[in-house]
Amino acid sequence: MTTIRKAAVLGAGVMGSGIAAHFANAGVPVVLLDIVPKGAANRNAVAEGAIQRLLATEPAALMRKADAALITPGNIEDHLNLVADADWIVEAVLEDVGVKQALYRKLDTHRRAGAAVSSNTSTIPLARLIEGMPEKFARDFLITHFFNPPRYMRLLEIVGGAKTDPTTLAKVSAFADERLGKSVVTCKDTPGFIANRIGVFWMQAAVGAAIDLGLTVEEADAVMSRPVGVPKTGIFGLLDLAGLDLQPHVDKSLAGALGPDDPYQRVRREFPLMLKMIADGYTGRKGKGGFYRLTKGADGARTFEAMDLKTGQYRPKEEPRLESVEAARAGLRALVTHDDKGGRYAWRVLAETLSYAASLVPEIADDILAVDEAMRTGFAWKRGPFEMIDKMGAAWLAEALAAEKKPVPPLLAAAAKAGAFYRIEGGRAQYLRPDGRYADIKRAPGVLLLSDIKLKGPPIAKNGSASLWDIGDGVACLEFHSKMNSIDTETLAMLRQSLDIVGKKFKAMVIHNEAEQFSVGANVGLALFAANVALWPMIEDMVSEGQAAYKALKYAPFPVVGAPAGIALGGGCEVLLHSAAVQAHAETYMGLVEVGVGLIPAWGGCKEMLARWSAHTARPGGPMPPVVQSFETISMAKVSRSAPEAKELLFLRPGDGITMNRDRLLADAKAKALALAAAGYKPAQPAELRLPGPTGRTALRMAVDSFVTAGKATAHDRTVSHALATVLSGGDTDVTAVSTEDDLTALERAAFMTLVRNPATLARIEHMLDTGKPLRN
Amino acid sequence: MPTYKAPLRDMRFVLHELLNVGEVASLPGYADATPETIDAVLEEAAKLTENELAPLNRSGDEEGCHFDNGVVRTPKGFREAYTTFIEGGWMGLACDPDHGGQGLPKVVNFVVEEMICSANLSLGTYPGLSQGAYNAINLHGTEELKALYCPKIASGLWSGTMCLTEPHSGTDLGLIRTKAEPGGDGAWRITGNKIFISAGEHDLTENIVHLVLARLPGAPEGTRGISLFLVPKFLAKEDGTVGPRNGAHCARLEHKMGIKASATCEMRFDGAAGWLIGKANKGMSAMFTMMNTARLAVGIQGLGLAEAAYQGARDYANDRLQGRALGGAKFPEKPADPIIVHPDVRRMLLTMRAYNEAARALAYWVGMKIDVAQKHPDATARQEADDFVALMTPIVKSFYTDYGFEAANLGVQIWGGHGYIRENGMEQFVRDARIAQLYEGANGIQALDLVGRKLGQGTGRLLRQFFHPVSAFIEETGADPRMGEFTFPLAKAFAKLQQATAWVAQAGMRDPVEAGAAASDYLKLFALVAFAFMWARMARLALDKTAGEDGEFYKAKLATARFFMTRLLPQHTSVFQAMMAGAAPIMELKAASF
Repeated sequence: MTTIRKAAVLGAGVMGSGIAAHFANAGVPVVLLDIVPKGAANRNAVAEGAIQRLLATEPAALMRKADAALITPGNIEDHLNLVADADWIVEAVLEDVGVKQALYRKLDTHRRAGAAVSSNTSTIPLARLIEGMPEKFARDFLITHFFNPPRYMRLLEIVGGAKTDPTTLAKVSAFADERLGKSVVTCKDTPGFIANRIGVFWMQAAVGAAIDLGLTVEEADAVMSRPVGVPKTGIFGLLDLAGLDLQPHVDKSLAGALGPDDPYQRVRREFPLMLKMIADGYTGRKGKGGFYRLTKGADGARTFEAMDLKTGQYRPKEEPRLESVEAARAGLRALVTHDDKGGRYAWRVLAETLSYAASLVPEIADDILAVDEAMRTGFAWKRGPFEMIDKMGAAWLAEALAAEKKPVPPLLAAAAKAGAFYRIEGGRAQYLRPDGRYADIKRAPGVLLLSDIKLKGPPIAKNGSASLWDIGDGVACLEFHSKMNSIDTETLAMLRQSLDIVGKKFKAMVIHNEAEQFSVGANVGLALFAANVALWPMIEDMVSEGQAAYKALKYAPFPVVGAPAGIALGGGCEVLLHSAAVQAHAETYMGLVEVGVGLIPAWGGCKEMLARWSAHTARPGGPMPPVVQSFETISMAKVSRSAPEAKELLFLRPGDGITMNRDRLLADAKAKALALAAAGYKPAQPAELRLPGPTGRTALRMAVDSFVTAGKATAHDRTVSHALATVLSGGDTDVTAVSTEDDLTALERAAFMTLVRNPATLARIEHMLDTGKPLRN
Repeated sequence: MPTYKAPLRDMRFVLHELLNVGEVASLPGYADATPETIDAVLEEAAKLTENELAPLNRSGDEEGCHFDNGVVRTPKGFREAYTTFIEGGWMGLACDPDHGGQGLPKVVNFVVEEMICSANLSLGTYPGLSQGAYNAINLHGTEELKALYCPKIASGLWSGTMCLTEPHSGTDLGLIRTKAEPGGDGAWRITGNKIFISAGEHDLTENIVHLVLARLPGAPEGTRGISLFLVPKFLAKEDGTVGPRNGAHCARLEHKMGIKASATCEMRFDGAAGWLIGKANKGMSAMFTMMNTARLAVGIQGLGLAEAAYQGARDYANDRLQGRALGGAKFPEKPADPIIVHPDVRRMLLTMRAYNEAARALAYWVGMKIDVAQKHPDATARQEADDFVALMTPIVKSFYTDYGFEAANLGVQIWGGHGYIRENGMEQFVRDARIAQLYEGANGIQALDLVGRKLGQGTGRLLRQFFHPVSAFIEETGADPRMGEFTFPLAKAFAKLQQATAWVAQAGMRDPVEAGAAASDYLKLFALVAFAFMWARMARLALDKTAGEDGEFYKAKLATARFFMTRLLPQHTSVFQAMMAGAAPIMELKAASF
């Protein structure tokens, strides 16, 4: 099977350019074409402008700015020949069949036979798109529906037509999965495919029910968010985020495409208030405000306001208090059966949405797995609709619907009879097929999930913060599972214990978890409390214990591969710096950010950065450059915005691997660990560094002081940076002497203990814990 | 009959030698509060309390207040004493000079309050309540209300009350039903019943200003729907004179165990005109302004009564001749030795004294911090001082009143059977002290405030203001061999407190029942360590001064410090162990099995 070596994207709007950027993220050269603007001097202005916007987009569309060079801009009139050697051409132009088909015809004369052509349409059926198109075009044609923003939203809905060549489908799917990191869901050629079909229904139901039941927007969002397991924006916050003006279009196109008997026709309606808001420019966050807005009073004070659904006027935002929201801690059923308006609201919206979803299989997808996956990865629901039903109890839901004389979809009736949509059988996860029988959930080759391994049996070892699992073939996996995966004494103890166990019984170890964030770093809340009650020896023990545990990690006689995804900061970054190798998910955000809380890295982070910059081949000679580079990285709390960027910052080494698809991360890390073991792994030699000592310290401090004088750094920045300068310049050493790793960790510890006694540091930690933002004091 | 002498020597020691109170004179607005001025004020306060207030304590208790058809009369002599009090400007001691007050620091007010509480707690409740009302109006009231009421209250011509409690709503103020409706004339109409209203009605002042918690129409349920109102007994005219009678009446007086000369009223508000203080539905926060000062003031009541009981017991123990010392006669020329020769009598006296002197030092320290929190030009310094006061408030309120009651009991014990006789005056301290453990938030509530609110705030930020000075003190004095007998036990107890604090924080986060079960023991542990810290600091000062002209004073300090460290501080290990046993032994028994 050929793969994708070059791609092309036609249409440089938000979606098209975002898709092009993501091809670049995958290291694939891509041509980005759009129309020639009327009377433009620069005929490529649209595509070139799109690339400029990509570089400024937040969150960043590109993993490394340098990768913009992989995107070749052009225009459709002059440069269609550039797609001649593209293996996959994505069309992302106006949602208009005529426009699209005209482009397809032009394209067909330039493209290579067998090159895949896909449309990013979200509303037009595939059958209509290929109407009247040549047979050979139809064979190469499919729909690939990306979600916005393409780099970050994991869902990719793929629709093949009756004529689509299965190898083309397989080729695009495999590339999207492995190289673009997408969660590929195969859909049928039905309106809205899966995610929008259910998602738009849910949004209409949720807005309508809030109005009917008299909830405020805050109340509706307080219920239709964490308590239900959907993002915290809730429903009105989501509309603000997506843009209110989008909603009527989406509604109209879906309603027009669905039959008159579809339940969506019953749940949808016009919302006069929303139309008025759109007309007045209140289109959400991109407009003058939406259901929420932030206003600045004459005195400069900011107030959050919310739209009153009854009066159509803004009023101060209120903190809703609903017993049902509290009750939801006990589970989804406790929420929907609660007798306040929050409970009634949740029941009405979920009863409608979940039974709608159950009525759509197998119409829109072959199985419930596709539906749940689409809602999780496309709408960021914690659980898909069928997983939600299981939480409530399928039999209970079926009875509750029947009791209200509401239809019970056959699939739900089948689940009620069988017990649930999902079950664990003999350590294997199974799902209910539309025929009423259970089948194993099969993972694609190269996908290994810790959650599957957990079904098979208990961990090898476990405490409150971490566990060690056997992931097969002589490899063990250390999993963090404290709150936000912060690292505390229990995590460190489990690391030490794991090193012992793996040394005796395994070939290699992987450090990995499936939480949103790999680790936010040391538990600073604990440290702050200990500091406030002057438990200095306890804090120093925590520092020493971390240093000792990470040292043991680095010099373990077997390979340890760190496999992070998401945030890996502070102590969570340091654990990776001490691992023999790292296999990182592309979306890994690493950094030593301790200065943000008035501290310095003291679990070997300073030491490792110095060692890495000292060993870096492409740097000027002399003792000072590694010190300056490390100082810049740490004193500015640089955080990589992707795994490729982490390589530039030396948080990752050239040999460390990057995996695009999160589901493939553990398998890749395991393979890397086994390869290292098979190659006769020997731990690294300890670094011996020649550092400048007081002269270097003085130079760094002078640089810091000039920042303070210029008003670019605060008084406490100065204190912290000075302490960091002392450590990184090696303390009272000079270039003729060798600093060992232990010398450096001793310097880290001393500096940390001085800083942690400083009230300004404690104020920073407190502020970070309270607000999640650094305090500039 | 005990006679009260204000402990001026010890007060001066705490203010000048320990706390360097002269520093408050450097705060904006306090330039006049020099050590000399403060001393002069205290001399005068001593005369007033010893000569005017103390002599009425016994008779006031005996006579009590009189109720006749809505009118309340205070005991004989109270009006005259109160007049002397306000003519001396004592009511306005810590009030704003703009309102005719003296504008002296709060710490000075703390000292005077202690004297008043020792001399005549019942009489002291009237100006005490006025002070709370003054603070609330001054901080949260409109300019008009402040201009009209603050000068009157500061002068003492009008007095104040706090009307919070209702028959079904005590600790849980979220349940109150008193309602406020728009009056159409800018005022509100307040209707409802309030009970346990100290100084709710009396004959000491021409007007009484009630601060009343009530609900606005449609207010949210619970404490988030409570507003605070100013409701005068007589409507105030614009010229500051008294106008028509308002619908705020005393329905009856409570018959109480103690503080009998303090009028505890049931108040009826029948559409009484009232004015909003602070924002609508934000009455709880305005009320806490009164509450926080009131809680500290109640703590000082514990200290004041314990001091009075100590003085009465000390004098008796020196006078009462009975039996001989165990080791042989100490005063062979007398028919018997005074009972102060007996170890057990000395144990009791020293217990009272050791608590009193540490409590005084800590209370005045808190008082100084209030001044810093209010007046310091630097925001961080204000915040830190405020953190300290907030942290210490439940400890001062709860521990001072608990030990104060214990001390009053020891006072009776030393007097033997004579202590049980009303006219001897010692049992009154016991009865008077009992209320302080109950009002302004029962002591169990204070303990919950400490573990539930104060401990976790800012991930322990408040704790820093106590733990860091203690830790630094231990580091500073640890190597001084002369300090060993003080620093070592302090360090040992402090380590237990650190351990207990971490435990309460962790266990409490896991399960609030654990925090609730630990609360009272934890508060006592904290208080004992705080007292140990005050004793160690005082001992450090005294060590260098025993040879001077006032050597006996410092020798007594050291002896009392030794007593505290060796005979009282060890209680910390038992509360520590009890607390660390966790909630299980408390929660096991079924409610029905009690």
